[in-house]
Amino acid sequence: MIGNVGAGAIRVAQEVGGIVVLTGQVLRALVPPRIDGRELLKNLHKMGNRSVPIVVLTAFFAGALMMLQAGPFVKKFGATSLAGWGAGYAVLREIGPILIALMFSGRVGANNTAELSTMTVTEQLDGLRALAIDPIRFLVVPRVIAMVVMLVVLTVIGDLVALLGASIVGRTMLEIDWSTMYYSFADNLKPYDFLHGVYKSIAFGVAIAMSSCYFGVTVRGGAVGVGRAVNAAVVAAAVSIMLLDFFLTYLTG
Amino acid sequence: MMFLRTRIEAIGDAVLGFFRAAVELWRLYIATIAGVARGFSRRRDRRGRPRGEVARQLYSIGNRSLVFIIVTLGFIGMVMTYQACLQLGRVTGDYSQVGSQFLRLIISDFGPTLTAMMLATRVGAGIAAEIGSMKVTEQIDALRMSGVLPIDYLIVPRFLACLIMTLVLAILGSVIMYAAGGLTAQYSFGVNPNSFYDLSFIRPRHVVVFVVKALAYGAAIPIVAGFCGLRARGSSEGVGWATTAAVIGGSFAVILLDFIISASALWLTGGDL
Repeated sequence: MIGNVGAGAIRVAQEVGGIVVLTGQVLRALVPPRIDGRELLKNLHKMGNRSVPIVVLTAFFAGALMMLQAGPFVKKFGATSLAGWGAGYAVLREIGPILIALMFSGRVGANNTAELSTMTVTEQLDGLRALAIDPIRFLVVPRVIAMVVMLVVLTVIGDLVALLGASIVGRTMLEIDWSTMYYSFADNLKPYDFLHGVYKSIAFGVAIAMSSCYFGVTVRGGAVGVGRAVNAAVVAAAVSIMLLDFFLTYLTG
Repeated sequence: MMFLRTRIEAIGDAVLGFFRAAVELWRLYIATIAGVARGFSRRRDRRGRPRGEVARQLYSIGNRSLVFIIVTLGFIGMVMTYQACLQLGRVTGDYSQVGSQFLRLIISDFGPTLTAMMLATRVGAGIAAEIGSMKVTEQIDALRMSGVLPIDYLIVPRFLACLIMTLVLAILGSVIMYAAGGLTAQYSFGVNPNSFYDLSFIRPRHVVVFVVKALAYGAAIPIVAGFCGLRARGSSEGVGWATTAAVIGGSFAVILLDFIISASALWLTGGDL
């Protein structure tokens, strides 16, 4: 029992250490910034554009859900002008960035781990090394940059869609006018609420990118190993999203 | 013109693919329910699940997600209380309602939904990776060859275990979330614990919503993940794709079910949930 706990702790420490070392290598590769432009563009397109549908759907329902949860208060107290406050605040600061980051981790992070780990188990990384190409500089760095940039962009898009979703539910299910809803958002939400969610998404992007690349390049053992690596990457990303969310919220208010 | 046409074709393809997947998912769901019924009715002659398989799945789905659920839901409970208190402090400065309203939100939405989002990530990916690797190494065909029904053998035990464990972990996760929120409110904002841990706002209908949501998510996650795993093709790359699809499909199924159940609960109670 105690041995199990100890073994688990050592494994977690190893993984965290590995991720930190990989982050160091990526930062080292960024100075001087020589990035493969074509690889970066390809990844930006693949990770960003092609995640738009799932992010838009998620954000729409997230906004709608927050408005549904605010509904009973609105009905009870007749405070229609405050509905946008509750729903908007929750969406912009917490629910929006977290849900979008989780979906992004599932869609892009997991996909990236699957791709990198397939390359690793088929020894393509060793092939690159044999050609004197640094796999970190060539494969990992463009992916990390693309994921961080695209998660921020998708969070900005998602926030707007979520507010739209909240307004639509407010109109159809709670019978709140468009204009009331608009003023309720505009009067109660400050630019900082929006920025708070956006800068948290930068940290989430880094966490998702690093964990997905780490588990991708350290995978061992065929198809089973690839499945396990993807599983480990999404779990690590989910835990780090929650932890980072807590510390960032606590530190910055 | 050509560009527009390919665009329209791409959208049509996506929509068709979505409907086909939905029909196949529904078939798998029916087959799984039938498998559950078979498992109960023909105790001796089960061409399906081996003895003790459900218990093993309960362990691997439930016990091994324990730390993960405790950590993630604990931290998110703290964050949510912190944000709510921060905002209330700016507007009214009255913290007496925070605890009871937070509990209402946990029970009717956040507790089961966030637990299930986390389980869709951990358990869903695990199921898809396992079944996907069996599929690409032709173990599923081997099962079928030896007269075992793959759905009864693989999906049914995971379905039953996930159904039970999602409910159990949702209850645990909600308690952790509430307790963590209470500690944050007490130490960061000086809220009196007696006013925070106030159960008087909870009504039976909230608990009904909680149970319905947990069971719906618990049924959806293994079916979506098993579906993705069974569809895996190729070799290691196919397993990777299947696992990815399971995470996305499971998380999105949770959000969609959450919306449907919340909206119908609000509609059934006439806005007075």
